[in-house]
Amino acid sequence: MNLRKLLKMIYRVYINFKKGILDPEAEAIKRTIDSMGYKTIKKISKGKFFDIEISSSKNTLGDLEKISSDLLSNPIIENFKIIKK
Amino acid sequence: MPKKVVSIVVFPGSNCDRDLDIAVQKYMNVNTELVWHDDSSIKNQEMIFIPGGFSFGDYLRSGALATKSPAMKEVIRLSKRGVPIIGICNGFQILTECKLLDGALIDNYKRLFVCKENFVKIENKNTLFTQNINKNVVQFPIAHAQGRFYTSEDNLKRLEDNNQIVFKYSSRDGKIDKSQNPNGSMNNIAGIINKNKNILGLMPHPERAVNFSEDNDGISFFRGLQNLL
Repeated sequence: MNLRKLLKMIYRVYINFKKGILDPEAEAIKRTIDSMGYKTIKKISKGKFFDIEISSSKNTLGDLEKISSDLLSNPIIENFKIIKK
Repeated sequence: MPKKVVSIVVFPGSNCDRDLDIAVQKYMNVNTELVWHDDSSIKNQEMIFIPGGFSFGDYLRSGALATKSPAMKEVIRLSKRGVPIIGICNGFQILTECKLLDGALIDNYKRLFVCKENFVKIENKNTLFTQNINKNVVQFPIAHAQGRFYTSEDNLKRLEDNNQIVFKYSSRDGKIDKSQNPNGSMNNIAGIINKNKNILGLMPHPERAVNFSEDNDGISFFRGLQNLL
């Protein structure tokens, strides 16, 4: 593996609905899975993630937190979590 | 005396701006200026409309990307100075995403795009925007996939207590119950106002209720706004 690839800095921001908010898409997917005959699937929740490559680690987490709460998620309805990949 | 000028902010993907333009000019008896989202200044600041449509393709969340447009930064600044602002449909979504209005507008309960005429009860007639409408229940078209108003229980109570809920989906005679709720909105909410009472957001389209006869309720909505200028 070359050094450049090794040094890539990528963070992943996960976004999902807060507890208690009905997600009709996840419900519809769950109903379809039920109709496929699977008996043990209890609940499905859906989310999304963004992989964000950065060019410098300066202020990274602070910036990512701000980007995640200001734009990528809507704090009224969604939670976010940032992990280093 | 020259006519006053009302601003309408237009984003890539707005599609109700022309309808709104016609309704505003005809029934508010003003001229309009369409402000492109990239403009960082809004020349005519007496009143601002944010129209419906699918700004920026509704990518990320409805209205989310539009909040960072230069024109919206100016709208946010002017809102603090008390400029009257009305957001319709996607405009309402943009105003909630900007936090100028409480709550969020999320996928309809059944995840269908609803497009129909709906009756809407005016819950608060003591606002700049509704004081001159001479009916208690109006009929406006709705057309949206993300119109389910959601907020925390605490916020909902605060909105109710402050009389910030302006429109609720209802029956023809003003009855408000689940059967009249097209999208699963909390408490049938169709439109709200901010605490300072200068910003209105509503999902129904008054600009689409002006075409067919003088009885169309959009006409009295826009005529009622004349006194704001």
